[in-house]
Amino acid sequence: MKAFDVIVVGGGHAGTEAALASARAGASTLLLTQNIETIGQMSCNPAIGGIGKSHLVKEIDALGGAIGIAADRAGIHWRILNSRKGPAVQATRAQADRALYKAAIREIVEAQAGLSIFQQSVVDLRFKGQKVDSVITDSGLRIKTKGLVLTVGTFLGGVIHVGLNKQTGGRMGDAPSNLLAQKLRDIEFGVDRLKTGTPPRIDGKTVNFGLLEEQPGESQRPTMSFLGKPEDHPRQVLCHIAHTNERTHDIIRKGLDRSPLFTGEIEGVGPRYCPSIEDKIKRFSDKNQHQIFIEPEGLGTQELYPNGISTSLPYDVQLDLVRSIKGFEAAHITRPGYAIEYDFFEPRNLYPSLQTKKIVGLFFAGQINGTTGYEEAAAQGLIAGLNAARLSQEKEPWVPKRSEAYVGVMIDDLVTMGTKEPYRMFTSRAEYRLILRQDNADRRLTPKGRELGIIDEKRWTKFCEKRDQIDEISKKIKKIFISAEDKKVNAMLNKPLGREYSLLEIMKRPEIKGMALLEAAGLKMISSSVAEQIEIDCKYEGYISRQEKEVEKNKSHSDQPIPPDFCFDSIPGLSNEAKQKLALIKPKNLGQAGRIPGMTPAAVSLLMVYLKKGDSIQNVHAD
Amino acid sequence: MAYIKDTIAAIATPSGKGGVGIVRISGPVAVRIGKEISKRETEHRVATLVSFYDDRGRTIDQGLLICFQGPHSFTGEDLIELQGHGGPVVMDLLLKRAIQLGARQAGPGEFSQRAFLNNKIDLVQAEAIADLINSSSEQAALGSMRSLQGDFSNQINSTLKKLVQLRVLVEAAADFPEDGIEAEINKDEKEKLTYLLNQLDQLLEGAKEGHAFSQGVSLVLTGKPNAGKSSLMNALCKRDVSIVTEIPGTTRDVVREDAIIEGVTFRILDTAGTRQAKNKIEAEGVKRALKEVERADIVLNLVDVSENIELEMMEELEKNKRAKEIVVYNKVDLLHKKSIPSSFQCVSVKTGDGLQKLKKRLIKELGVLSGGDSIFSARRRHITAIEQARIHILEATGFIGIENQIDLLAEELRLAQLALDSITGTFTSDDLLGEIFNNFCIGK
Ligand SMILES: Cc1cc2nc3c(=O)[nH]c(=O)nc-3n(C[C@H](O)[C@H](O)[C@H](O)COP(=O)(O)OP(=O)(O)OC[C@H]3O[C@@H](n4cnc5c(N)ncnc54)[C@H](O)[C@@H]3O)c2cc1C
Ligand SMILES: Nc1nc2c(ncn2[C@@H]2O[C@H](COP(=O)(O)OP(=O)(O)OP(=O)(O)O)[C@@H](O)[C@H]2O)c(=O)[nH]1
Ligand SMILES: [Mg+2]
Repeated sequence: MKAFDVIVVGGGHAGTEAALASARAGASTLLLTQNIETIGQMSCNPAIGGIGKSHLVKEIDALGGAIGIAADRAGIHWRILNSRKGPAVQATRAQADRALYKAAIREIVEAQAGLSIFQQSVVDLRFKGQKVDSVITDSGLRIKTKGLVLTVGTFLGGVIHVGLNKQTGGRMGDAPSNLLAQKLRDIEFGVDRLKTGTPPRIDGKTVNFGLLEEQPGESQRPTMSFLGKPEDHPRQVLCHIAHTNERTHDIIRKGLDRSPLFTGEIEGVGPRYCPSIEDKIKRFSDKNQHQIFIEPEGLGTQELYPNGISTSLPYDVQLDLVRSIKGFEAAHITRPGYAIEYDFFEPRNLYPSLQTKKIVGLFFAGQINGTTGYEEAAAQGLIAGLNAARLSQEKEPWVPKRSEAYVGVMIDDLVTMGTKEPYRMFTSRAEYRLILRQDNADRRLTPKGRELGIIDEKRWTKFCEKRDQIDEISKKIKKIFISAEDKKVNAMLNKPLGREYSLLEIMKRPEIKGMALLEAAGLKMISSSVAEQIEIDCKYEGYISRQEKEVEKNKSHSDQPIPPDFCFDSIPGLSNEAKQKLALIKPKNLGQAGRIPGMTPAAVSLLMVYLKKGDSIQNVHAD
Repeated sequence: MAYIKDTIAAIATPSGKGGVGIVRISGPVAVRIGKEISKRETEHRVATLVSFYDDRGRTIDQGLLICFQGPHSFTGEDLIELQGHGGPVVMDLLLKRAIQLGARQAGPGEFSQRAFLNNKIDLVQAEAIADLINSSSEQAALGSMRSLQGDFSNQINSTLKKLVQLRVLVEAAADFPEDGIEAEINKDEKEKLTYLLNQLDQLLEGAKEGHAFSQGVSLVLTGKPNAGKSSLMNALCKRDVSIVTEIPGTTRDVVREDAIIEGVTFRILDTAGTRQAKNKIEAEGVKRALKEVERADIVLNLVDVSENIELEMMEELEKNKRAKEIVVYNKVDLLHKKSIPSSFQCVSVKTGDGLQKLKKRLIKELGVLSGGDSIFSARRRHITAIEQARIHILEATGFIGIENQIDLLAEELRLAQLALDSITGTFTSDDLLGEIFNNFCIGK
């Protein structure tokens, strides 16, 4: 087979975004995956977005990725979360029809120019010295490449637990990738085990919905993609809410002796924010009920996803506990819940570009880096795919900074601090939260994406239209004045105007809705999102500029690069612990060095002095 | 390469009474600060006799103002020197004013570091600067530890705990809106914030009043009965203020007196020390002594060497002492043959032997002479941090109960915590998440 610039292994969320980004960036790209039918498969919860996660989705979308568009085509129930807590923490979530989502991703992948798909399992990797050379597939093919992105999810050394039964598997129904896992273990990337779980699925026709609380979606539906419209959404359905009760908890307690979590059978660390129901019962024994969101798996199926009772208890306990829930007395389980343990690699062995420090041209993205979630995986995929392509084109890598994107926060956290549990995005991880909002992802990133060559004409034109209109109206509102008697405007205010004010000044009042005010002033807009940006820009001006100043202030110092071959050992006065950490992490700049846990300000000062010293010595040599 | 964009300030040579003390300010706004603090134009390399004013226009001190324009200065940046006559308290007021006007208190070794980065010190000296940074950050840590003894530390910690509790609520409500936390958040944040404000006020009050700034450094004498505490007090004050007898248990109530040692004002407190109380009066005396020991800036623990003290016991004492404690071995005149290793602080109050050394040690302990981070600058750093935290808490109060602005409330609380972090150590977003997961049952 001919050689490719970039090969991506794995057709999950990381893999598809990686392959797409690589091809968009102009590299000839091959996507290798075990099974073409599972491209874009959601292993667990059929939902995209949520707090912190929709931020990621919109950033991926702003950089031309697929996840947002697919979510718009598959979303059958939409929610706006934190709608009254402020724009920085507001988020969007869609229940996705699994089949529609998968179909959308597959369609986008197949339509991408410069991208080929090939159904093969990768069993071995070949390197030339410390450089990627080729992959070997299960049918014995050898394919050469310059950049290789591994995105094999939970498949490495995957072990599935249901009660005390265990079997190997990448996820239920798929074979694990054990040959590849062994190969990677041999290279010593720092392997550890993590664990995650999923709830049993339930046959909807055996559930008495009359006894459950209804949870309708938003009537004014949001979209995930900048290019999306609510009209793209398929038919909408209801979700429901159910609750566990004391009897449920008793059943679980009685089954704990056969729980692999508590018998020591499972060694991998699970996420604290997504505990199994047995874990919740054990740790918060005083709570007498837990909430369960009953989510449809799709339009063409009766299967339900009971979100909140992820479990690896034996099947008989699962059935009893489900049936103890009001409305589920006669429920039938279609697939038992399970826990899965899998290998992940110490992410501190990666550069921010997601290239491994050990092997040039080898990139890791997604669950194998210790994260969990489709959005987290997809975001890393995009960055790894883009940078693999750039490497093949001999260009510098690009990674957004912590002040530019949640993607940047996540990657910096991973490569600087590592992770002990499956890493999920939360808004509280972002210190520049006020400027990293889901509503301005396009403004933050699309121009950069265009520069990188991964934004197509259609998106760019639409973006420019919006950007120009925001600029234009922002100028106008300073100059348009509203008289004290204006009836329309006064009706929107808690306190009447009293004197003439500019639109800008009025916009700052908390009770004002941007769209309504601009319309009252006779300004026409292409979309409500323009008004939204203007409103937020005005109301948050002080805060946003404060954070921007903070970014600016830290810049000169934290952007100071540290050469990749810098020898930290030569710095007297640094503790051995600090030296070891610096040598492992090889920070790209002083800012990253300062974020390494345990690095003191004094240590950073020392580093600064020695960087300068190294600098001067090099200059001397150059002279 | 321009590495740095902010302006730093520090007390370069804190003086005692009579001497000259210097506050240095370096960075882009140094000249502006010089102008505002003196209400005079400045000229390159000319020393002008001026008054230094505080924010309300009152004179802090009179002295010389010298301006060095970058790159012709020690640091290579614009640099201002304020040379005053006042003691540490006045120096601190000058530093405080510089901070108000936009400077940041310099970190350990930072002036020299800047000099180096701006090519003002040659390459060979990098090592020396590294040493300086290291030794002065050790000193800073020590100074900070001393400043954080006793009540102050307890109060800071309890304030921080309250702040974290509040942040946990607010952040959990923002990051986990579907986990039923919202119900808990709206109840009484306002009271919690008011409470926090009060705590910060108290802290400021305490830090400003009870300590080194206005009343000098507090030096508390403790030790077993008859160790010679009262004798030492009288010797240091050069006056007969505390009763001395050969009867153990002479001193009961706390005796206070100011003394100037090497130009620095100390407030000396003689106490009943530590003893097995035989009656109510003695018990009360011991209780008072303990309280003063907690509050002290420096504690002198007197040990009577004539009571057959073994070397091992002395080592044990040194090992277990507090950060701010100096063990003083008294009555060395009674020792005949075996001498005590010179690493131990020995005196004879009776002959005056070792007293001079003890005084030097006291000054060194303050870090005042070395120009490093003394207890004064540590306390100044802490006060600045608390004041900043207070501003953010005050801002936060404005967002309570206002729709659509939980993100701003959260931001103010984060900044408040960031300010206090500089005193107590960093609290990362991961720590915060950990607290959330411990307190709430999160996860669908
Ligand atoms: C049981 C379970 C429960 C989960 N629970 C949650 C949850 O509660 N919350 C949450 O946010 N996330 C959860 N997840 C995680 C979520 O599914 C993943 O984070 C996400 O799918 C990771 O994306 P990925 O692209 O890294 O990997 P995956 O989506 O796992 O994709 C891996 C891809 O690699 C392919 N592949 C593997 N090995 C090879 C090979 N050798 N050659 C070629 N192709 C290969 C596979 O076929 C697959 O297409 C769960 C996952 C599982 C399995
Ligand atoms: N030989 C000798 N005697 C000393 C010295 N210092 C103090 N003394 C004597 O020790 C006795 C106790 O001295 P004080 O100063 O009263 O001791 P104190 O620690 O204050 O004692 P209480 O207040 O009773 O706890 C007095 O008789 C002093 O004269 C010293 O350096 N050498
Ligand atoms: Mg006495």
